[in-house]
Amino acid sequence: MANILTQNDIRHVDYKDVDLLRQFVNPHGRIMGRKRTGLTAKQQRAVEAAVKRARFMGLLPYIQK
Amino acid sequence: MAEAAVIEKEVSADAVGMRVYEIGYHINPNTKEDELEPVVADIRGMIEKQGGKFLAEGAPSLTKLAYTIEVKENGKRVAYDRGYFGWIKFEAPVSAVAPLEAALKTNRDILRSVFFQTVREETRARFKSAPMREVKRGDVIKSAPRNEEVAAPVSEADLEKALEDITSEK
Repeated sequence: MANILTQNDIRHVDYKDVDLLRQFVNPHGRIMGRKRTGLTAKQQRAVEAAVKRARFMGLLPYIQK
Repeated sequence: MAEAAVIEKEVSADAVGMRVYEIGYHINPNTKEDELEPVVADIRGMIEKQGGKFLAEGAPSLTKLAYTIEVKENGKRVAYDRGYFGWIKFEAPVSAVAPLEAALKTNRDILRSVFFQTVREETRARFKSAPMREVKRGDVIKSAPRNEEVAAPVSEADLEKALEDITSEK
């Protein structure tokens, strides 16, 4: 089963693509694990880095109540 | 594979050690729209001074923040819930990083900034938000009126009676 990134042929994950990153974050704002996302290790690392950058810049929440 | 990567770096480095970086920044929301340009020009000037070449840029636009960012201004903490978010992608020598990062942090018009190494290619994804979700939402909307349709014709007359019964019982 292909994951979202390979399905859409996304090679680079940008922290500014908030809509894309929201797919990898649960309703509380936590990053989903690899079992949920189905990403490869390399993709997961890229997503993690992007989500953390987006959080720092206030584009994504650290926590959502 | 490792060898290939090394060779690629050497070719693109151009002997000076140029690397591709991106900066993202939030400009203070209290600045007026026409005063944004000098702030951005200031950042661009700093990059050029350090020997950088621009690759791509996103103009600052007012963005709502996911949480309030507190900044110290004149010894007081001020909370902001929005900012003009912009970004610049450029190529610069490694020696330019430290002074640029320091300059961004000390710039008073900038609430917050990120500075990181990236790739030359376009990184923005052309992503349509998941179709699966939309279908699911549609299903919920479709199923809801069906229930109403079934309920509505039967109840109209009965409802009033039922209501009267309930009220009279009370």
